[in-house]
Amino acid sequence: MLNRLSQSIFNLFKANETRLHELSYLFWECTQRCNLKCRHCGSDCTANSAIRDMPFDDFLQAILPLKSAFFAKNITVAITGGEPLLRSDLAQCGKALRQNGFRWGIVTNGYAYTPEVHAQLLSAGMGAITLSLDGLHDTHNWLRANPHSFDNAVRALDLIASSKRLFYDVVTCVNHLNINELPLLKEFLISKNVKAWRLFTIAPIGRAKDNADLQLTPQELTQLMDFIANARTDKRIDTKFSCEAYVGKYERKVRDACFFCRAGINIASVLIDGSISACPNINRHFAQGNIKQDNFLDIWNSRFEVMRDRSWTKTGICAKCRDYRNCKGGAMHLWDEKQDAVMGCIHQKINDVAEKERWVKAE
Amino acid sequence: MGKIADKKRRILRGIFGGLSLTAVAFVFEACYGMPEDFGLDTRIEGVVKSKTTNEPIEGIKVSIEHEVDYYTLTDSNGQFVLFVPMEDRYEVKFEDVDSIQNGIFLPKDTTLIRDAYGELTLNVSLEDAQ
Repeated sequence: MLNRLSQSIFNLFKANETRLHELSYLFWECTQRCNLKCRHCGSDCTANSAIRDMPFDDFLQAILPLKSAFFAKNITVAITGGEPLLRSDLAQCGKALRQNGFRWGIVTNGYAYTPEVHAQLLSAGMGAITLSLDGLHDTHNWLRANPHSFDNAVRALDLIASSKRLFYDVVTCVNHLNINELPLLKEFLISKNVKAWRLFTIAPIGRAKDNADLQLTPQELTQLMDFIANARTDKRIDTKFSCEAYVGKYERKVRDACFFCRAGINIASVLIDGSISACPNINRHFAQGNIKQDNFLDIWNSRFEVMRDRSWTKTGICAKCRDYRNCKGGAMHLWDEKQDAVMGCIHQKINDVAEKERWVKAE
Repeated sequence: MGKIADKKRRILRGIFGGLSLTAVAFVFEACYGMPEDFGLDTRIEGVVKSKTTNEPIEGIKVSIEHEVDYYTLTDSNGQFVLFVPMEDRYEVKFEDVDSIQNGIFLPKDTTLIRDAYGELTLNVSLEDAQ
């Protein structure tokens, strides 16, 4: 009863946030180059991307008008890729952002994160970082398709966890291979003094589309939810499920807040070709403009309707879903240009397992 | 009209966020993004010049005592910008680390007291070692 009331009030909160749509989180896809070729990559990055890195000044000039409408200090720029550490001017870019008042951080695979890089980025005002670690030695290396990726990621982890200044977490993409390793991985992270751990499933987009065995079965999804719910009782590490999907009865058990896809509501992005969109993993069909010809602030204020009014998502399996008002079609990255059906529904899969268990018990 | 409406919505944000028992509703990380940065830091900037010639010196290492992860080098204009965790005072060190390139200068340590604005300017002159 309390949960239902709290969810209803949270829905009012979401509606209010949507009307307000204050920009507080801005992705910059600064490169599509990557030093790894991960099997689950959602953006299909390669070492030799044909697309050249975006000149930093193009990005900076595009976002400076935001300062007339928002406090720059309230906007965190998430520098992503590709692998942002492949940009030799990364520290200079970050320093210029910080000098203009914006806060910034990176999402990295940690492969090129050395003590020198760590010091350069911290001294340039980096305040947040997310590191990917997808399992213990063999599992991580398999998913990352590189025999040294685990050792390098752990070197990065040691540096990051030792910093008093950084807001950071470790993210793990849970798949068929590493799901049974999660308890061991949790203890490993605790031994490394990690305080925050975020778990994802793998969306069937980018290169992951061609690796069906990376998707969790409905039983494994339930296993993951139970693992996270249980891990959250362990105060040594703050474990949570990512904001990628609505998870029904597990909502309050696996996250601090209820599901809320903030794409286009608080989150925007400048993509490698200058497109203005929300999270970089959202289908590029949803781009709302381009910094080459549009004013970023005008686009933020006047467009993004497709993300702020999600009523069009009440289609396909979502049309008859009893939890639609809480979920609103799930995360934007689970919709393609046809806009006719969500790519996958964790909530439905969890419900199917529960339903099956009820049948077995009844029999 | 728009500003008044937004003000009302900001008040409602606090009410709804609080009542839904999710104070953390205000803090989020985007899927595939990192956490937001709410940390406090200080910007220290300045110019390093030669005491003898008054010319800017390139390649001087500027660092903070006991903070091994925070340092930078002066550029060709002798300028530096360094972001450091917020403290009340800093022991700032200036060292010539590029051997004979750009001249040879004696090191210098300076104590800096932070003001209320979190931004500090520090211009120094280094003595020629020769």
